[in-house]
Amino acid sequence: MEDEPDAAVIAASLAVPARFGAIFDRHATVLHRYLVRRLGPDEGESLVGEVFRIAFEKRHTYDLTRPGARPWLYGIATNLVAKHRRREARRLRATARLAGRRLVPDDLADRVSGALDATDRWNRVAEAVAALPEVERDALLLHAWEGLAYDDIAAAQGVPVGTVRSRLHRARGRLRELAAADGGEGDENIDSRDPGRIGS
Amino acid sequence: MSDDLDPLRRLRPDRIEPDDPGDPAVFSRAKEQLMSAIDEDRAPGDVFPTPDIYPRLAYGDELAAVDYLTRVFQFAEVREARMEHDGKYLCWLRVGTGVVMLGHANPDVHLIHSPLDAGLTTVMVNVYVHDIDAHYAHAVREGATITMELDDAFFGERRYEATDLEGHRWHFGERFDDIRARGGRPPEPGEPPDA
Repeated sequence: MEDEPDAAVIAASLAVPARFGAIFDRHATVLHRYLVRRLGPDEGESLVGEVFRIAFEKRHTYDLTRPGARPWLYGIATNLVAKHRRREARRLRATARLAGRRLVPDDLADRVSGALDATDRWNRVAEAVAALPEVERDALLLHAWEGLAYDDIAAAQGVPVGTVRSRLHRARGRLRELAAADGGEGDENIDSRDPGRIGS
Repeated sequence: MSDDLDPLRRLRPDRIEPDDPGDPAVFSRAKEQLMSAIDEDRAPGDVFPTPDIYPRLAYGDELAAVDYLTRVFQFAEVREARMEHDGKYLCWLRVGTGVVMLGHANPDVHLIHSPLDAGLTTVMVNVYVHDIDAHYAHAVREGATITMELDDAFFGERRYEATDLEGHRWHFGERFDDIRARGGRPPEPGEPPDA
């Protein structure tokens, strides 16, 4: 059962709906983390079930030639994120503030000036991401945070790979412009220390 | 890969503030809701709250450990809570009202080791089961390494011990009272346990 591709499970769930539970088992924790990254822990918990409920309702539209369902689920989750734009912008700003505090230089002499500087830089990155057109931000974060390949992003967004390429290209251009706009130091390396270890 | 997306990659929240694995019951509740929506006639399943204390055991191959512990000792994985992280896994297994968490040996952050690497075992996990004789017979059939034979213990339970595939030690027991309650026959009071 564990070896059966998602597509086969989804196909089987058309006749035996309860089979769809295996799709939740395989992907819920990953989608949960994605929602938490973009919206925060409270929304993550309330929306993860929603992703799979919608997926279940839409399972007859699933492209059975795609063995793995994760990109499809990412697409559904991403549509839910779109309904919480302000929440997402707040989350980005809060994360930037945290980055400013957490990623400051150790050196005491650098700390005061460096901290202000670092916070400002992270804020600029966050604001730039928040200011991107939605489809570009989605593509960019699926790529940079979730590590999805281009054709998986295409499956998630329901567009051809070429469109993903141009979305990412435009997004990176805007990010460079926006992040550099008011600081004039956009080409300088943002603090490159280890951002911290993953706890789990 | 270092490029203009580096700052954005670093801004991923769980790279700034290491995230903890969280409560497996969150996923059990969400799945339970989904399954009720899928099949309205279905009898609602139990979602046990996660106990306030539960151990996390370290393995070199945690998925092999899940297979072993479910097959040999009949634990049940809370499959919907299984978490993949950089090719490593966190898994929760349920036995009765208890939960045990399995993770990859983590000598860097949490400083926990598999007995296989440590060369010794520092913990024994105690488990109450229903029908200890059947549990023991099943474990033996599945190739368990028995480190203490099944026997009636003076403190009022029938028990055996085993080590698993990486050397973690397990103590399985059933209280005399529980044996009586299911119609079994533990040693009479005053009767020596070995009689």
